[in-house]
Amino acid sequence: MPSNTGIFCRCHCMVVVLCGSNLGSAEDLLPANTEITIAINHYVHQQLVASEVAAVELADDLTLLRRTTLDLGGRVPTPVERDWFISQPASDRRRLLVDRLMQSADFDFHQRNWLDETLLPNHPYNDDFRNYLLTAGQDRRSWDTVFREIMTAAELDGPEKGAGQFLKSRVRQLDDLTNDTAILFFGVNISCAKCHDHPLVPHWKQDHFYGMQAFFQRTYQTRKTSSVAERPFGEVKFANMAGETKTAAFMFLSGEVIADRTPQLTDEERKLLDERVRKLEQDDAEAEVFVPEFRPRDELVTLALHDTKDHFFAKNIINRVWARLLGTGMVNPPDQMHSGNVPSHPQLLEWLTADMVSHGYDLRRLIQGIVLSEAYGRSSRWTSGSEPPSASTFALAQTRPLTPRQLAASLHVVIRSAEQWSAIENTEEWMKQRTDLENLANGWVREFEQPGEYFQVAVDEALFFSNNGRVQDELLRDSDDRLLGQLKKIEVQAQAIEMLWLAVLNRVPHPDELAAATAWLDHVPDKKDESRKQLLWALLAGPEFRFNH
Amino acid sequence: MSHVRSFGTCIPAHHAVSRRGFLSEGAVRAAGAVTVAGCFASDMGQIHALRSEEVASELRNQDKRVILLWLAGGASQFETWDPKPGAKTGGPFRAIQTNATGVHISELLPELSQRMHHTAIIRSLNTKIADHGGGADLVETGRLKDPGILYPDLGAVVARELGRLESKVPDYVSLYTSTEGRRKGTSGFLGARYAPMFLSESMIPLNIARLDAVAEIDHHARAGLREALGRRFAASRRSQTVDSQNSAYQRVQGLMASAELFDITQEPAEVQARYGPTQFGHQCLIARRLIEAGVPFVKVARAWWDSHGQNFETHQELCADLDHSMSVLLDDLEQRGLLKNTLVITLGEFGRTPQINSSLGRDHFASAWSCSLSGLGIRGGVAYGKTDPEGHTVVEGEASAADLFATILAALGIDHKHEYTVGARPVPLADFGSKPILDVLT
Repeated sequence: MPSNTGIFCRCHCMVVVLCGSNLGSAEDLLPANTEITIAINHYVHQQLVASEVAAVELADDLTLLRRTTLDLGGRVPTPVERDWFISQPASDRRRLLVDRLMQSADFDFHQRNWLDETLLPNHPYNDDFRNYLLTAGQDRRSWDTVFREIMTAAELDGPEKGAGQFLKSRVRQLDDLTNDTAILFFGVNISCAKCHDHPLVPHWKQDHFYGMQAFFQRTYQTRKTSSVAERPFGEVKFANMAGETKTAAFMFLSGEVIADRTPQLTDEERKLLDERVRKLEQDDAEAEVFVPEFRPRDELVTLALHDTKDHFFAKNIINRVWARLLGTGMVNPPDQMHSGNVPSHPQLLEWLTADMVSHGYDLRRLIQGIVLSEAYGRSSRWTSGSEPPSASTFALAQTRPLTPRQLAASLHVVIRSAEQWSAIENTEEWMKQRTDLENLANGWVREFEQPGEYFQVAVDEALFFSNNGRVQDELLRDSDDRLLGQLKKIEVQAQAIEMLWLAVLNRVPHPDELAAATAWLDHVPDKKDESRKQLLWALLAGPEFRFNH
Repeated sequence: MSHVRSFGTCIPAHHAVSRRGFLSEGAVRAAGAVTVAGCFASDMGQIHALRSEEVASELRNQDKRVILLWLAGGASQFETWDPKPGAKTGGPFRAIQTNATGVHISELLPELSQRMHHTAIIRSLNTKIADHGGGADLVETGRLKDPGILYPDLGAVVARELGRLESKVPDYVSLYTSTEGRRKGTSGFLGARYAPMFLSESMIPLNIARLDAVAEIDHHARAGLREALGRRFAASRRSQTVDSQNSAYQRVQGLMASAELFDITQEPAEVQARYGPTQFGHQCLIARRLIEAGVPFVKVARAWWDSHGQNFETHQELCADLDHSMSVLLDDLEQRGLLKNTLVITLGEFGRTPQINSSLGRDHFASAWSCSLSGLGIRGGVAYGKTDPEGHTVVEGEASAADLFATILAALGIDHKHEYTVGARPVPLADFGSKPILDVLT
């Protein structure tokens, strides 16, 4: 197994230099018609054998029900879904679950939320962008189509008008636009190459940074219509380390350059166009946005999608989807995709890349393949006294914090009584319920931090759960339509406890937990309902509910 | 009452009554209890992941503190620390002699002029970035943003370096101000443990008081129940992120007990009167109460200095508030013996242009501007650095945001070159190449 060593340049960029051996070459890949799940199992297993790491056993079915529902639906399962799952033949439950979830409204909501959190991480929720992403998902648009629509920022009508928000939110910061596009769509951080050629990665030159910047330099936002537009001309100049001034070519990360096909203009024509753009940028007066013949962002999309050498676009999204579902990317950090930072499973990444390109950038296909794999299905428990295997072996499932939306939606799933949920086959009613759930979650997401690198649960969250009136009044309400209301009707403590555990943790309690909970409830027998309320609180605020495991 | 048992929470012993006795010791062990000691063990693990050397306990024992008076929007150096009377860029206000020989400041700061023996002025900041967001990001963290890493701001670094793991009070409090002055601050790669307690809505932190609907005894007991029931899960995951949740809950009771620190009505009327009626004055008083109780870093933001129009009227009003509140704060800290352990910083995201625009305003300017440092570790009565006669450029002692960051850390006795280890990446506390300004340090 390759071992990596980090090296650092003074401007903090990290380079990981491969010290071990690579496992084979692209020519040795499995046949293209291999099922994705089988390919994943093959390559992960091959790596485990080579590195003499033993994988843990698969997680039990109920754990996988919770994990998969959170990952594909963005929430924990309802009691109705749990009953349905248990009623399916054991040999086929997992596949049937994945099929059902991927056809449900939940999948589109959760996929939208993930893309929103990924592409606009530092911006307040933008309804237009969120609506666009949802519509794109419901229409089953491929990832390359979404990329094209976001990059070209076509001002479409209706729910699709938000496609331009990625650019709009960064249009005043050209460096951000350049860096974020490179990081989020291509898995490449070239910010270090702004001031100098990268000292340790021969791949990254100043020409790459400014080459990428050239695609965005002409982008501006109109004042009247808030549209994203492009100037008819403009160039990026920069000083290299020798102090020479250079004009940036339109160069993609692969090194491929497209010719500048800006029409030749007279000084007078340029002056008139300049004035027209100035008015569009600065004046409130009505003015028609004009579309230049040569549009650098369109060219960037073309170059990125025809990058047959490095496949930055395909590999980036594969790596990000993989990291989302397995807790760690094959390339880590996800923005360091370059020749010096070899993936943990290079052949698998190559195979998945070929599969993605040949199947039209279909993210659903990729997601389905991953969640049915052995690596995804492993247990996250590690009870041995020895150190657990490295996350990048995928021998052990990672415990992942819920996103604010997953947490908020899940809270509102478990606090309802079982009767509140529609039958599994009633998709129309479920769509309505799921939409309500999404809207309910909107009001709670700001209470929680978005997980990222270095994530820790904040004390603000602990204070919120401990003392906020909404927790008390909304989550712990015991009206008839709530779980606590349902529990009131159950006199036998053990039954009530089991129902509580199933609803919140999606499993039955262990005997010692049953004993502990019984002791808690019996301790103040005259305050049975209040005690159950506090027991629910203790489970909702506990780690098993807070994490996907 | 006879069944009282402990199961390893950080609840004070006198709270361990009644409901908490529900669990037998055996049941608790079976519930996955690995240890009943070391409330902060997981937190320590997190610390060691970031920094391999031993905890600098000696530094922590010195009770050093910081109050940052954040002048949101960018105060004019001409109307505060670097007046240019008579210059065409100087504006209408005079310079006045301070109680430090040869040091003059704007006449808008008369009270502070008589406390200059506590204060060093730095007049030679050149931080280059003159937009609010970018300037604040730079000045707060002492370095340029890097798309590959989230840097902690000054408050988080100080909380990390000076805060005590066992502390019952917050490490970093950021007091809100009106409208655009609300910047929460960030703990970046240090994680949420060092994130500010941010007062965004009122003078009292959110969710710090127990609801009446939850009896005190239940509040404590259910927290213990939460921890006990979660142990099995946490024990079978080697995850610092999972452990961080427990650490967060373990701090709840201590933080709730600190709620009274935010209540200035507990101060004698005479003290309240000294600080005056303004919100900024109130918050300076809260800052003093927090510092006194052991909070290592308090940020008080005063907005909105962004005087693109009517710069001089704006500064007349805002400087009066700053002058009085900061003077009372310095006096109060000194009288209580706290100033020798407390560094008071006045700083914004940038200064303002020498040119006076057609609206009698000054615009954003980051090429030659000023800040002040008072108290702990600071050589009072010093005006460091120099700008040209009209204030366009720094002509002597140019200092970057990183240099200022290094200077502040040096005043606190923290090695600015010390490196955190983030993943496999070394990150020095102050940016590469930064140098403390020795002339302003004792």
